[in-house]
Amino acid sequence: MPDQGDAAGRTDGAAGADGARPAPSAVPAVRVEGLWKRFGEQVAVSGIDLELPAGQFIGLVGPNGAGKTTTLSMVTGLLRPDMGRVFVAGHDVWADPAEVKSRIGVLPEGLRLFERLSGRELLGYMGRLRGLPGEETDKRATQLLDVLDLAGSQNKLVVDYSTGMRKKIGLAAALLHNPEVLFLDEPFEGVDPVSAQTIRGVLERYTSSGATVVFSSHVMELVESLCDWVAVMAAGRIRAAGPLADVRGEAPSLQAAFLELVGARGRDSGDSLEWLGGGAAAR
Amino acid sequence: MSTLAPGRERAASLTPVFVRLKLSLIRNGLKGSSKRKAAYVSSLVFALVVAFFVTLGLAMLHGNAHAGTVVVLLAAILAVGWAFMPLFFPTGDETLDPSRLVMLPLRPRPLVRALFASSLVGIGPLFTLCLAAGSAIAVARGPVGALAAVLAAPLLLLGCVALARAVATANVRLLTSRKGRDLAVLSGLLIAVGGQAANFGSQRLFQSGGLAQLEPAEAVVRWLPPATAVGMVDSASEGSYGVAAAQLAVTLAALALLLWSWERSLTKLMVSPDGSTLAVAESAASGKAERDGGFWSLMPGGRTGAAMRRTLRYAVRDPKTKSAWVTALAIGVIVPVANALQGTGSLYLACFGAGMLGIQMYNQFGQDTSAFWMVAQTISTPRDAFVELRARSYALALVTVPYTVLLTVVTAALVGNWRDFPAATGLALALLGSMLCTGALASARFPYSIPSDGAFKNVAPGQAGLAWIGIFGGMLTSALICAPVIALTIYADVADQRFLAALLLPLGAGWGVLATWAGLRLAAPTVARKLPEILVAVSKG
Repeated sequence: MPDQGDAAGRTDGAAGADGARPAPSAVPAVRVEGLWKRFGEQVAVSGIDLELPAGQFIGLVGPNGAGKTTTLSMVTGLLRPDMGRVFVAGHDVWADPAEVKSRIGVLPEGLRLFERLSGRELLGYMGRLRGLPGEETDKRATQLLDVLDLAGSQNKLVVDYSTGMRKKIGLAAALLHNPEVLFLDEPFEGVDPVSAQTIRGVLERYTSSGATVVFSSHVMELVESLCDWVAVMAAGRIRAAGPLADVRGEAPSLQAAFLELVGARGRDSGDSLEWLGGGAAAR
Repeated sequence: MSTLAPGRERAASLTPVFVRLKLSLIRNGLKGSSKRKAAYVSSLVFALVVAFFVTLGLAMLHGNAHAGTVVVLLAAILAVGWAFMPLFFPTGDETLDPSRLVMLPLRPRPLVRALFASSLVGIGPLFTLCLAAGSAIAVARGPVGALAAVLAAPLLLLGCVALARAVATANVRLLTSRKGRDLAVLSGLLIAVGGQAANFGSQRLFQSGGLAQLEPAEAVVRWLPPATAVGMVDSASEGSYGVAAAQLAVTLAALALLLWSWERSLTKLMVSPDGSTLAVAESAASGKAERDGGFWSLMPGGRTGAAMRRTLRYAVRDPKTKSAWVTALAIGVIVPVANALQGTGSLYLACFGAGMLGIQMYNQFGQDTSAFWMVAQTISTPRDAFVELRARSYALALVTVPYTVLLTVVTAALVGNWRDFPAATGLALALLGSMLCTGALASARFPYSIPSDGAFKNVAPGQAGLAWIGIFGGMLTSALICAPVIALTIYADVADQRFLAALLLPLGAGWGVLATWAGLRLAAPTVARKLPEILVAVSKG
């Protein structure tokens, strides 16, 4: 990505974004112990143990149905696990929600926003619900709308927003209270390249100040280009986790390493579609 | 370009293709689902039975002095129904959706012909044809009248169908847009309020001299197509051949005009880009920045103000919420006022409005849909949950309290009973308070999803039991909570205790506030504890 070439310049363990926040310490951003979730007969998440370091850009990757959304929902307090514990910045998500909820920002997938508010109204609403003073909320909202290129549509109802605009306003709502850890479920799904680049720029700026981003995706190239640290999920389990280079290992790309990890071998269509191709089909 | 020639050949046989397509779509729509099949067959049987009896009834009007008035107005109502039904129930007919035909090499004229023919297939047109035939028989007298009737029945049907198509096609942009879908959701409101109004209107009509009152309207309507077709039969039967000929001409001209306008808008639709490909107009960008001035600046700060503002904005902007609020407000007025006007009123019926609006407190989080996660993310203590629920009941009270007082004033003035005004107002406020109390508890314990599409689906499949438990259990409990105030009111009335009756206003209001506060206090810990469960329950829509 041309404009954001300074990914190497991250300062792990630096002071918080506005000085008010304690520096990320040796305490991991997220610690998950023996997490289980079952929906009827189907086990969505089967006993995950995971420790995500603070101050990093972390990718949670896996094929569709691997349990990424379920895991993120349980980690962020939106879904109650059947078993297991989750700690965010050292605080138990289920025992101590007040400490956790003020420290995290969330952008879930498949849940709605308050779509009958305009973009600006939505941010104003969320900020006040979070307990920010009205003026501060409006100031931050204006800046976020500007940076995310939504200033022109700030008075349009969110229900009339495109997918990319919805992701951006959701991201703004998640960032408004300056969380320590940001959880994003498929933030780039269905987003056009321009909006994707905007989101990326904001996230890179955010992590470079010492905050943690955890995002899920099934697009390996994206994860490879963005993340310092990845966890690979398949069929409700963590298959590998660690710094990007470690997980990739000898493989030429994360994609190749991933396919090997989840046990999907390269499938060749062989001769079965030999009729398919240019030339014969031309008008 | 070799595709044009076969295209032209095919155009000649386009009509049967479309009629067959329509029939297959109906048939395939019924495949697989026995429930849908049963629904279709029963609605077909129902329509046929109703059509038979209505036709029979109309035919039996033959010779009645008011027959002309009835059938002309019926034709007009039929036409209005055809024109507006597709706007409120746009799901109907896939053969009529121009976006499905846009990639096919079709010419406008044969296409309109084919679409017109296929729109004549179905229960609606059959029902209309029956009514049209009955109407024509009702007013036809003599051989010329009979001839006119034979012409009029199909002309009325064609007029109605062409009108419906022209209106729907001209508004297809609206129908496929978000605003159009919002409009469709509001149709439930139209039926709820319209039904009450029609009921009241017809009662008044029959009280005050009957159909003769409608004759001036009929004199105008018989010149409005397609009701002119029926007017023509009446005129021809009375021997006014000139008038009949003029009415026939108007009918035919209107039909031609409708078909022409349909063809025009269809052509335009099929060769111009639709909303999804047009660049988004950023009209809102300049100047009109949202400012919290005026009314909103009176709201408290923090979560209370924010949640109140959102609740009130949703009552205006969200079609489902708006429909529920407006229905409650309208029925709350119609019941006491209509009864008072008919002389059967009681001042205590004004409590009905408070009860109807109190129901809006039920399933608060279901009204948020899955967006409730945004609220859940900010609630971590019972105190947060209490403030959230309190803000929502403030918003409700902000509308309901003045509305209830005003409604009691109006009803008292109509009934002429000012003596019981303080007691009735106090009772209404106590009832509102206990509804807010049970509403908060039901929201916490029995949340369910409200599907955002469809005017008549207010509960997600499988959650109806939950909804009924919440609402009916809640209403019974509200009555119990209110019981002391009800008992005092009855006692004051029976024992003619004027001072106590006057005291019931502050007493009832105080009781309502106390009940609300207690309900919120009891509900808040449950909400704070069960956030994930509530989120799951309200996300099924």
